[in-house]
Amino acid sequence: MTDGRRRILVIEDDSETAAQLADSLAASGYQVDLAVDGNDGLSLGHSAEYAVMTIDRMLPDIDGLAVIRRFREDGIVTPALIVSALGEIDDRVRGLRAGGDDYLVKPFAVAELLARIEALARRSDTVVKETVLRVGDLTLDLVSRTATRSGREIELLPREFQVLEYLVRNEGQVVPRAMLLQHVWDLHFDPTTNIIDVYVGRVRRKVDAHQAYPLIHTVRGVGYCVRAPC
Amino acid sequence: MLLAKTLRSSTFRLALISIAIFGAAVVALFCYVYWSTTTYVRSRSDRAIVTELAVLQDAYAGAGRDGLITTIARRIAGKAFDGGVYLLVDPSYARIAGNLEVWPSILKGGSGWGNFKAREWKPDAAQRPLLRATFESLSDGSHLLAGKDIQDLEEFADKINTAVVLAILLIFVLAGAASVSVTRRTVGRIEAVNATSRAIMQSGLSERIPLRGTRDEWDELATNLNSMLDRIEGLMAEVKQFTDNVAHDLRTPITRIRGRLEKAYNNLPDGDPHQLLISDTMADLDGVLRIFSSLTRISQIERSDRTAAFRTIDLAEMVREVVELFDAAAEDKGVHLEAVGDRRVLATGDRDLLFDALANLLDNAIKHGRAAGRVTVEVRQSDGSAAISVADDGPGIPADEFPHVFKRFYRLERSRQTPGNGLGLTLVAAVARLHGAQIEMLDNAPGLTFRLVFPAPNQSGVEHRNELRKRGSLG
Repeated sequence: MTDGRRRILVIEDDSETAAQLADSLAASGYQVDLAVDGNDGLSLGHSAEYAVMTIDRMLPDIDGLAVIRRFREDGIVTPALIVSALGEIDDRVRGLRAGGDDYLVKPFAVAELLARIEALARRSDTVVKETVLRVGDLTLDLVSRTATRSGREIELLPREFQVLEYLVRNEGQVVPRAMLLQHVWDLHFDPTTNIIDVYVGRVRRKVDAHQAYPLIHTVRGVGYCVRAPC
Repeated sequence: MLLAKTLRSSTFRLALISIAIFGAAVVALFCYVYWSTTTYVRSRSDRAIVTELAVLQDAYAGAGRDGLITTIARRIAGKAFDGGVYLLVDPSYARIAGNLEVWPSILKGGSGWGNFKAREWKPDAAQRPLLRATFESLSDGSHLLAGKDIQDLEEFADKINTAVVLAILLIFVLAGAASVSVTRRTVGRIEAVNATSRAIMQSGLSERIPLRGTRDEWDELATNLNSMLDRIEGLMAEVKQFTDNVAHDLRTPITRIRGRLEKAYNNLPDGDPHQLLISDTMADLDGVLRIFSSLTRISQIERSDRTAAFRTIDLAEMVREVVELFDAAAEDKGVHLEAVGDRRVLATGDRDLLFDALANLLDNAIKHGRAAGRVTVEVRQSDGSAAISVADDGPGIPADEFPHVFKRFYRLERSRQTPGNGLGLTLVAAVARLHGAQIEMLDNAPGLTFRLVFPAPNQSGVEHRNELRKRGSLG
């Protein structure tokens, strides 16, 4: 990713949250522009090109959704992550309808925010159509839908393969639970049960049991990450 | 459908009862009018005949048979008594004088009145006229008949009769039509109120009862109900604003706290004992947040009046997905988990919420069912309505606890030790209500069955709104 693609607009009225976001994003190599209200955000958004923008749902002057709508009307298609302190039930529909691309409910782990921003930034990149994915000694054949580790086939259910494929595609990145739910099960919010952890737990047992090193790692409070030891 | 409702309605029954009572009164009145009119006219005519007969008898008494014959001839020629018929016969009923040829058989013997027709009376008339006559036997044994052509009279009575019958029929037809139309109007107005109520229950408080601008009691009722709805909607909006503010004002500081904790955690060298302290704090904070999220989610669903995320979903496919998702959890507990039922069951709903609700039911069944037991999820479609049931063979729940399990934070005494927050079934109930689905708890003997019964698609809010719109445009 080039520099131009790593510039991020953060529209957030809470100064401490904004500072935390800016710090974390800067630490991950993003260049961050901060806007403290909707009008500020609109003028910044119109004046420069951003890879991604995050917009707080409740801003002191203009509603966050109205800001996105304004951007979309003006032909600015920068992927927008809605950060909401309201619940997800209402915003899920309204936010995405207003032209938002993803949303995150406050409070959030910074790692989750970073993962989602990464995903949105990557969205505009060209996707290479691979047929085989490799991480360490794990090989996924996307045509025959089979996974092998050190040459031995791992028996996976179709949905388990999808989980593993999504994690492997995002190798080295933290995949928040919610993104896994969205991509594998088409669910748009975290279920009230901890079932995903149990499910991924079994995938991990199948993939990592009796192996030289683990591939699937849990990121506490956020999600999972597939990583081969360096 | 409206006609069937009209015929069933109590207004219509009342109208029928009034029609019956007033109809009976009208029929009685008309019968009396008919009877008294015809009786009056007939008795007048009879009196005239009697007078005529008395005149003739006087002539006989004064001038004998010859005088009588002369008088009869004069009366016939004189037209003083219009349409009069006369006949004088000897004791063997042979004609002596008069304008009839034959003595009517009906008047032979005794005395009295008779109606008859005579061939020779106005032979060129289209219909042979009806004659009415009486007679008297004279002192010489001959018989004297006097009568009158009463054809006009009979026609008059017939006309009155026809008029009365037609008037009664017309009154009944008009009253019937009027009561149907009045009832229809009433039923239509009530149905508009009903349709709005159903639409509100299905899809929220945005619907209003249509007014007709007639400023009648119906419009007044609709106006009052509408302002009640406005008030409720206003209160709901205030509550929503309140919860939104609480959510916002709590989440923002918690976000800061979490950020600070993360920063502190990352700033410490790996393995520092404080790192564990911080990560435990973050885990607890996340636990609090999960409860908080569940609560806000439940209250959002409960006051949700939007079904924007509703679409057609295959419940059978969703059940298979959830069952597959829980396969790992069931396996951990040695539970045999299976999905049975129809292959394709369509319903309208919010997939995310239904998925979550079903996941909660399955989570409960596996968690509180028997270890190494059996959990069965069944999905069926019958008569357009769909049903999902989740059955376990565990210890079940005492029947007197049934009504309480959907309350927030309610937990059975024996399950206090298992993880959970007592919000799962509250969420299930809220999701069911949003979908207009019935939730049933059944004793599975042993174990417990939860059953969600979804209404047939034609009872959905959308249909109700369309129905309402149709109604509105009708009125």
